[in-house]
Amino acid sequence: MRVLIVEDNEELARLVVGGLAKAGHPAEHAATAAEARHMLAVDTYDAVILDLGLPDADGLVIVREMRARQDPTAILVLTARAGVDDRVEGLRCGADDYLVKPFAFEELVARLEALSRRPRAMQGQVLSIANLSFDTAGRQAFVDEVPHVLSARELAVLEMLMRRKGRVVPKKLVEDQLFGAGGDLSSNAVEVYVHRLRKQLAERGALVTIHTVRGVGYMIAEAK
Amino acid sequence: MLWSRSIVRRILWMHVVAVGTIALFVPLSLYLLLVAETSSLHREAMREQADRIASHLVTTGGRWRLDLPKDMRDLYSEALGRYIYAVVGDDGTVLFSSRYAAQAIFPDAPFTSKPEFLQAEPPHSNISGTRIPRTEGDHTVYIEVAENLSHRDVLIDDIVSNFIPRVAWITLPILLLLLGVETHVVRRVFRPVQEASERARQISPRRTDIRLSLQDIPSEIAPLVVAVNEALDRLEQGFRVQREFTADAAHELRTPITILRTRIDTLVDDRVAEPLRRDLETMTRVVTQLLEMAEVENMALGDSERADLLAVAADVIAFLVPLAIAEGRSIALSGVEEPVWVAGHAEVIGRAFRNLIENAIRHTPAGTVVEVIVEADGTVHVCDEGPGIADAEREFLFRRFWRRDRKRSGGAGLGLSIVRRIMELSGGSVTVANRTDGGACFTLRFRVVPAAADQDGAAVVQAAERDDGAAPAS
Ligand SMILES: Nc1ncnc2c1ncn2[C@@H]1O[C@H](COP(=O)(O)OP(=O)(O)OP(=O)(O)O)[C@@H](O)[C@H]1O
Ligand SMILES: [Mg+2]
Repeated sequence: MRVLIVEDNEELARLVVGGLAKAGHPAEHAATAAEARHMLAVDTYDAVILDLGLPDADGLVIVREMRARQDPTAILVLTARAGVDDRVEGLRCGADDYLVKPFAFEELVARLEALSRRPRAMQGQVLSIANLSFDTAGRQAFVDEVPHVLSARELAVLEMLMRRKGRVVPKKLVEDQLFGAGGDLSSNAVEVYVHRLRKQLAERGALVTIHTVRGVGYMIAEAK
Repeated sequence: MLWSRSIVRRILWMHVVAVGTIALFVPLSLYLLLVAETSSLHREAMREQADRIASHLVTTGGRWRLDLPKDMRDLYSEALGRYIYAVVGDDGTVLFSSRYAAQAIFPDAPFTSKPEFLQAEPPHSNISGTRIPRTEGDHTVYIEVAENLSHRDVLIDDIVSNFIPRVAWITLPILLLLLGVETHVVRRVFRPVQEASERARQISPRRTDIRLSLQDIPSEIAPLVVAVNEALDRLEQGFRVQREFTADAAHELRTPITILRTRIDTLVDDRVAEPLRRDLETMTRVVTQLLEMAEVENMALGDSERADLLAVAADVIAFLVPLAIAEGRSIALSGVEEPVWVAGHAEVIGRAFRNLIENAIRHTPAGTVVEVIVEADGTVHVCDEGPGIADAEREFLFRRFWRRDRKRSGGAGLGLSIVRRIMELSGGSVTVANRTDGGACFTLRFRVVPAAADQDGAAVVQAAERDDGAAPAS
């Protein structure tokens, strides 16, 4: 994926560009808001990494401008402050994700890749964890490349979990996805599906664990 | 209340005292004046009558004659009994008298050559009048005229004796009315001062932009208002400098650390990178906690901020649980199912939760679960199954930089100070207890508020949830 990094610190920008290149993502650098505007106008990128503290403008202005002209490019905001309102403000302005400095480089790459997997970026794709993979276009789950039949609802739950692997999927979100928003159901209905899914994946030898975060949601991760 | 701190009350109190004194003295002095006036009227009348009698007194060949006209004779008739006269020779013989029993009116008073006002001896002390000399050749006679005061004109009598009960009371309502007017006027004059005080009350570290208006402020108080406004300017400046410094420091510190971190992360040789990364993580933790401490230290929250404890807890747990799971622990949320609205800022409260849960994860043994319990009364418990807190440690626990094991790296020793400061900001409290079956239990108590109409706090949580937070920052 092509990435534009807007960051006034030359040294950091150089390191990030180098690191991204090594991770297989060609990146370009803009040091000021003006330069970024110019580059966004003449070229298209899959994602923009945007530092909020630019010398000539507030980074959020660029977010607003891009969203105003309905530019679908994914935006990952970087900020030096874990300030109270920064995060909300950034997300409200239309940024897709947010990272506080200092960050782990791996984390930056993971977030960028997660952004590019968002529905707006691509439709069909294969999600995978350990020996488990999921084809979102064919709606089919594979363990060690062997396809397995799962019910539609089990597939829906698995897709949600795998799209956010390593992160918690709120219980409410799973409920809404399975039974529609506002659907009145017993609180352990979701737990029943997750339990079945867990059992089937285990039977087929998938090396993943679906964690129940009691009271909060579910998370899929590699089995240890 | 002899001396109140309120200026208005002091003024009114002084007025009450003044008015009370005046209410006492005015009728009294009026009464005395009235008495003096009636007695001088009486003297004048007596004098006039004596002069008139003198004008009707004539001598012919050494003999005195008195020819009073009819109207005067009627005036002195014994039937009327009010006025009497006598003309007395200088040897004390009574020449003429209005009374049958011809007597001098003031027999005991020695004669003098000037007109005199006299009062009869007891038991006739109600008889009072005048004596004037009249000389013709070398003969002198004295004309005495008196009035029986017990027969005095009813009108004058009434005025004098009834003055206090009938008339003097009018001064009291007048003075009370005056007091009412005073009260109103004083209140009016002080209203701008009172308004200024009201405004000053709203000043808080968060609202340092408020200034007191000088409009309508009495000139005596204006210098005070100006001084307060100037102090506020300096205060605001101070807060701004502090906040800017914290923000700048965050930027200046985080940028080089980020560069260092990225440089290490993009190193090829992991055997070199790994220990460097660990060192840097410790340093980053200290810097981050320090900045966070500085930030909450300079922070002030408005009264209208509210947050849903349940949503904040779910958000923070979702944020931290991947890290916990990676370390073989887990976190669970229990208690209420419905939102619990409390005073405070969602993001800031989230930081308190994060610090407590991070501690719990660090101390709870592998395979156990950190319990987060949100209760409807605005209480949140964060409980672990670790070693708990020894009684002796309790007093140090919330101190800055205090850590049980200084040799163990990884912590800054600021987490619990941050928690305490956040609870102070939110108007709540933090306490710690040990569970009977081992492990520490930190309890946060918030102030419950009615569900927010403007759900600003909720927006924060939703915004974060939409994106499902982020993986834990290390
Ligand atoms: N749940 C707990 N169980 C046992 N001891 C605890 C617990 N929480 C805190 N402590 C003790 O209190 C000390 C202070 O905690 P605090 O959170 O203030 O600092 P820290 O965790 O050491 O550093 P940091 O600022 O990075 O959080 C810890 O070092 C630890 O010894
Ligand atoms: Mg801590």
